[in-house]
Amino acid sequence: MEFGPIWRAMMRNKTGAILIALQMAVTLAIMVNAITIIQERAQAMSRPSGVDEPNIFYILSIGFSENFNERLAIEEDLAALRAMPGVANAIQTNSMPLSGGGWSMSLQTEPGAGIEGTGTALYFIDEHGLDTYKLNLVAGENFSASDIEWREPADSGWPQKTIITQALAETLFPDDWRSALGSTVYINDDQPMTVTGIVERIQAAWNGWSGVERTMLVPQHTLFGSTNYVIRAEPGMRDQLMPQVEELLASNNKDRIVRRMRTMDETRERSYRDDAAMIKMLTFTVILLLLITSLGIVGLASFSVSRRTKQIGTRRALGASRSAIARYFLVENFLISAAGVVLGAGLAVGLNMLLVEAFDVDPGSLITLVPLAMLALIVIGQMAVLGPARRASNVAPAVATRTI
Amino acid sequence: MLRFENISMVYRTDSVETHALREFSLDVEEGEFVAVTGPSGSGKTTFLNIAGLLERFTAGRYLLDGKDVSALSDAETSRVRNEKIGFIFQGFNLIPDLNIYDNVDVPLRYRGFNAAERKRRIESTLETVGLSSRMKHLPSQLSGGQQQRVAIARALAGNPRFLLADEPTGNLDTQMARNIMELIQSINMSGTTIIMVTHDDALAGMAKRNVHIRDGRVSDDGSSVQLANVATA
Repeated sequence: MEFGPIWRAMMRNKTGAILIALQMAVTLAIMVNAITIIQERAQAMSRPSGVDEPNIFYILSIGFSENFNERLAIEEDLAALRAMPGVANAIQTNSMPLSGGGWSMSLQTEPGAGIEGTGTALYFIDEHGLDTYKLNLVAGENFSASDIEWREPADSGWPQKTIITQALAETLFPDDWRSALGSTVYINDDQPMTVTGIVERIQAAWNGWSGVERTMLVPQHTLFGSTNYVIRAEPGMRDQLMPQVEELLASNNKDRIVRRMRTMDETRERSYRDDAAMIKMLTFTVILLLLITSLGIVGLASFSVSRRTKQIGTRRALGASRSAIARYFLVENFLISAAGVVLGAGLAVGLNMLLVEAFDVDPGSLITLVPLAMLALIVIGQMAVLGPARRASNVAPAVATRTI
Repeated sequence: MLRFENISMVYRTDSVETHALREFSLDVEEGEFVAVTGPSGSGKTTFLNIAGLLERFTAGRYLLDGKDVSALSDAETSRVRNEKIGFIFQGFNLIPDLNIYDNVDVPLRYRGFNAAERKRRIESTLETVGLSSRMKHLPSQLSGGQQQRVAIARALAGNPRFLLADEPTGNLDTQMARNIMELIQSINMSGTTIIMVTHDDALAGMAKRNVHIRDGRVSDDGSSVQLANVATA
């Protein structure tokens, strides 16, 4: 291989080569970090919420009349909903996973003010909650009907029992999360609650929260004027049931309005809409950069072939085969690409450190991503130069004797 | 060593057919110094291109060292060019981005010699043409005569069976042209066969044999070598 002469020749005419190498370096740096962000977002989007998303929908009920008896309405609504054909189960709650709005409290394993607690999302449910969400109970037991209390807006007390997620148990009891079962945790600094069950997972309302899987379930119905009914349909019945449920609730009680009926699928889509848009935008940016870089390589190589037609003919006359000529341009491009991607690897790591520090971005797995991106760019570069290299190899050796 | 048997070369476009060579026949023996002359458009360059395997011909047979090279593949043709033929071009055709050493190295790399062998041959041939002190210079740093000497060194480095020279002094002044011709003569005297295409009768006079081409045929062959084809024009 004639690396030496090609490199020396290139260094005597280096402006174009340097520009392409720089373009490749910048492309690699942006590509690696864009992929890191895409991976981070995609990973977040793929996390399960813990609930039976394909079959669950929910609807908001808001009482407006002075005659509105909220407790009675909830009892009647739940009875009617659970009796509907196609409804697997239903509950009343304050919020939904990934919905963007909900309650959070602080839990601690020792009573007392000044102790740093663990931020916890909170859903109020009754004994049908686990089945409605189809949560996986990994330890302990479900609430019973006698555990369920009614909560007024002004109430500051908390019931005796709670069911928590495994992630919350792991945070509160890092040595052995199973020891959370039967343990007392404290809410509002010193109000004790006993952990009577642990579920595998139910996500909080906020997908961007680092503790998105730290959730507690509280055995209470809420009397806050507005409430969500969560309905789990039998498989395949959701879309058929939704208008029927809306009609039922609307006609059951004229002292309230029902609105904002949504599926969990829609909630997930809305929750991650910005992330999905960012993934699309970054993917487009990476593809565009790769395209521009490829075109740059094609342009430089084409110009190089045109400029050196006589030289190529001379090389052919001196004994170069067609493949040797094509190889010359491939090697030349490889050297430019290699310089570009090595520089780009440094830039990629630098940019990553900057992003991690400035925007708290997950650093990602640069150790595998950077070499892969380097390899990909070199392969793309070599593919881009194939056309010009082939054109060069077709230059006739007789060009060497032409005087014009 | 080189035999053209009734070679014809026709360039075709959609509407025009140009006969560059018409049943052209010529024998060149080993050690000869043949000058090929003729007016513009007579077929000199076409003859040179075919002799140097730079172009394929339309009809006839070309024997090089007794072997028919008419149907060789591109790779085989490239190898024969590399091993048996040295080229000296009117415009020198040095690669401007490579220094003198690397320029002479070009055909040797295609030949597959190892680094030590290439170094020996490069230094030896540059010594022969009197440029061993200029190895690291770029072509642009040399005079026209010196550049042609480098081109001759490049042609000789592979120890070819014959040299094809295309107007080798066409871009040089009189003194430099004389020097180059003396060098080419000395190369011939050392045993290398030379075929030189020129339109300059004075230069042609320095060759041992003159072949004149007109309208794609040999019109005059001032040699004792028996012609396979007598000019008919």
